Amino acid sequence: MGVLDALEHEQLESHSRSPGFKSLCAHNNEPLGSLFVLTFLSYIVTRRYNSTNMLTRSNEAWVSDLGTSGPAREAALEDLRAIVQKGLPYALSRWLSPDQPQFNSLVEEVTQETLLRVLDQLSTFEGRSQFTTWVHKIAVRIALTELRRKRWRDSSLDELTENEELPPPPGLLADPQAGPETSAERADMLARVRRIIEEELTDRQRQALILLGVQDMPMEDAARRLKTNRNALYKLLHDARLRLKRRLSMEDITPNEVLTLFEQK
Amino acid sequence: MNIRALIQKIKSSFNHHEEIPNEAVLGFLRVLESVREEDAPCDEIYARIDEYVEREVDKKDAAQLMPLIREHLDMCSECCEEYQALLDVLEKTSQDEK
Repeated sequence: MGVLDALEHEQLESHSRSPGFKSLCAHNNEPLGSLFVLTFLSYIVTRRYNSTNMLTRSNEAWVSDLGTSGPAREAALEDLRAIVQKGLPYALSRWLSPDQPQFNSLVEEVTQETLLRVLDQLSTFEGRSQFTTWVHKIAVRIALTELRRKRWRDSSLDELTENEELPPPPGLLADPQAGPETSAERADMLARVRRIIEEELTDRQRQALILLGVQDMPMEDAARRLKTNRNALYKLLHDARLRLKRRLSMEDITPNEVLTLFEQK
Repeated sequence: MNIRALIQKIKSSFNHHEEIPNEAVLGFLRVLESVREEDAPCDEIYARIDEYVEREVDKKDAAQLMPLIREHLDMCSECCEEYQALLDVLEKTSQDEK
């Protein structure tokens, strides 16, 4: 007998020994007594179904339970909430420690939003992975989008306040360890690459490069700023990279050659 | 200088651009070596990343089976962060269950 079985057996025993149960039977009120037993058994079956189902639900069972209304859906949502909340600390481990004050509220908000999105996108689940992996993927996207946005907002604020007090960083060309010849070569190479960028990239590609590569803005926000979406923004950058790569190759410059020049002293 | 470059140059003399810092220029160059002609958009990667990560956790050679996804992850830092976080979740929750 497993732990769960033993617990249920004990509960049933204790209820059957309870004065209420005994008096129901003693007064020969059998229909009421049977009803009591049936209700209790049904409670045990539901509880047992939920406890085992949380681990063993098939993809089809998840979709079907969440797609209906009533207790099956409630139980599935409750299980899913526990699964998401178990996974989130691992997903956030490279970003946030559980000791940080915003950790618990972030986990709660992300869990809520994940459950809503799962219900909303249930029909798009194709069953290519475990249902729970699909749900974790949604939770990760929501959590990291929020963290990136926050990180960017905070660093922009920090930069604003730092800029008031500190001089700008010296930059690559001001490397004190580089000899005059290396410094001149670097300046020349950067001027060539800069000219190529200037000639090859469209204004929009250039804007995207500045938002993502200079201002470190998250892709979702940069996409919104450029009135597009993350997909199209990635394509814009990809095209920019291809154009630049082709043009550099036409001018007999390899990216590695430029980078090596900046690594040598 | 070809005509397109000339037009671009004239255009740029009218539009005063914000200068791209040297570090950003080099950062842009750093990814150029790995740029491939074919690349899947972020949405396609997102649609398959759960399957990809499960294969990786199951020690199947995900990168060989789904090379486009691997290449995209090497190029796109945000998709790569999400892949890494999902991998952490699956690996650590499966360790907890053992």
